[in-house]
Amino acid sequence: MDWGKLKFFLGEVTRNFSRNTGMQMTAIGTVAITIVLLGLFLFVRAALADVGTRLLEKIEISAYLTPDATPAQISAIGRFLAEDPRVASVQFVSKRQGLAELRERTKGTIDTALLTENPLPDKYRVKVHVTEQVPSVAAEVRRLAGVANVVYGQQVVQRLLQLGAVLRRIGIAVIVVFFAVAGIIIANTIRLTVFARRREIAIMQLVGATNTYIRLPFICEGLLDGLIGAAVAVGLLAIARATLWPRLLEALPWVQLTAAPMDPRILGAEMLTVGAAIGIVASWLSVGRHLRT
Amino acid sequence: MIALRGVSLVYPNGVRALDNINLEIAKGEFVFLVGHSGTGKSSLLRLLYREAKSTTGEIVVDGIRVDRLRRNRIPALRRHLGVVFQDFKLLTDKTVWENVAFAMQVTGAHTRDIMRQVPRVLDLVGLSHKSRMYPTELSGGEQQRTAIARALVNNPKILLCDEPTGNLDPSNTTEITALLQRINLKGTTVVVATHNQAVVDRMRRRVVRLDDGRITTDEERGYYYLGLGQTQVLSG
Repeated sequence: MDWGKLKFFLGEVTRNFSRNTGMQMTAIGTVAITIVLLGLFLFVRAALADVGTRLLEKIEISAYLTPDATPAQISAIGRFLAEDPRVASVQFVSKRQGLAELRERTKGTIDTALLTENPLPDKYRVKVHVTEQVPSVAAEVRRLAGVANVVYGQQVVQRLLQLGAVLRRIGIAVIVVFFAVAGIIIANTIRLTVFARRREIAIMQLVGATNTYIRLPFICEGLLDGLIGAAVAVGLLAIARATLWPRLLEALPWVQLTAAPMDPRILGAEMLTVGAAIGIVASWLSVGRHLRT
Repeated sequence: MIALRGVSLVYPNGVRALDNINLEIAKGEFVFLVGHSGTGKSSLLRLLYREAKSTTGEIVVDGIRVDRLRRNRIPALRRHLGVVFQDFKLLTDKTVWENVAFAMQVTGAHTRDIMRQVPRVLDLVGLSHKSRMYPTELSGGEQQRTAIARALVNNPKILLCDEPTGNLDPSNTTEITALLQRINLKGTTVVVATHNQAVVDRMRRRVVRLDDGRITTDEERGYYYLGLGQTQVLSG
């Protein structure tokens, strides 16, 4: 290892980096904002997915029976469901039981005493092991004799998935814009440094320094911008998680948030990588353009 | 060492800077390129270190076909050459020592070699005692000697000088001329573009005269002015 070489190189990088402090801060700040947004996005996405998963878990199939279904048909449907390996549980709900449940659920809002007769049919309440199998089980049950109609929360599921998709698209668009802005700001910062050091660059080229060698300190400058910005962002997110998270749980008890199922260390490392990548790409492009004299 | 055959250079704006240049310079030669400003002296030098690319013709420098050189091979060519300018092109925030070492550092030289080579060239140009000073603290002649040291530090076989005494007073000019001569005596091929008549006439070396982008004369032991040279030869 040639320490003199390393010292010279680090000196070059330090001088580049300290030449335009204001611009450097702007670049770092933009990267930090971008990555904080990325972190929030990932968090919201994970939380939504989590809430969604739990909603989907609650989905059950209601197989309503025809009023004229014979006891033999009813027990045949029950056996069919009980033997299906995809089915987790089957429960027969008679019309009377159904009315009682309805009364319980709508207590105080609807006066069910007004009903002169019980409008509810008998039904089977079916829970399935895997949410994705709900539609196929529902379709098979529907074909059985004595089954009038099969209902599960199709619309709720679809709405939730659609909402998730829309939010994701908006989030991605915002983040892409911020990444572009961060990249442009880093590229401009590097351009200023290149401009400030144009005499040195000219001399380097004159005495036969390779383009890679000339580029390297500038790439390192961009890398530092990206890395420091990402580190700031990771720090802010960590603080937010430590202080705001418990309050969020308190404020939104009904959402039943769980800690986003992500390893904070892996997430932090990924964010640092992303920051470093923006810095390297932006500075590479910027210097490349300005070295072609 | 240097050969140009049928070389011309037309700038993108249509100006024909050089026109059908044929020139051979042998190893160890000392050559003056003379002519008025704008006759193509600097353009010719720029072609040699590939700061400009010839429009037509063949250029060979130390065995390298410069006219066909790919971009990524240009650094390798320049390590064979030392280039010196009228405005010195020194870095004002670096000391003499650092300016000279810089040329080695950026080509990835070992610290060991830098520590050995820099004192050697500083000694050659007579600046060992001022190695810690900054360019602004030096006279014009000393600044140019620093620039020459930097050009020589990578041991080039060829030294190209573009108006090296253009910014210097007569005594500094003499000093630099003597230094270039000493460098040439050590075996380095030296090409000097100049319009300093005194320098050319005192040295009596090969003089290649450019006029309007063409070589008009090429004398073995020439003077700045063709006429003057002839009279002096006749009277001498």
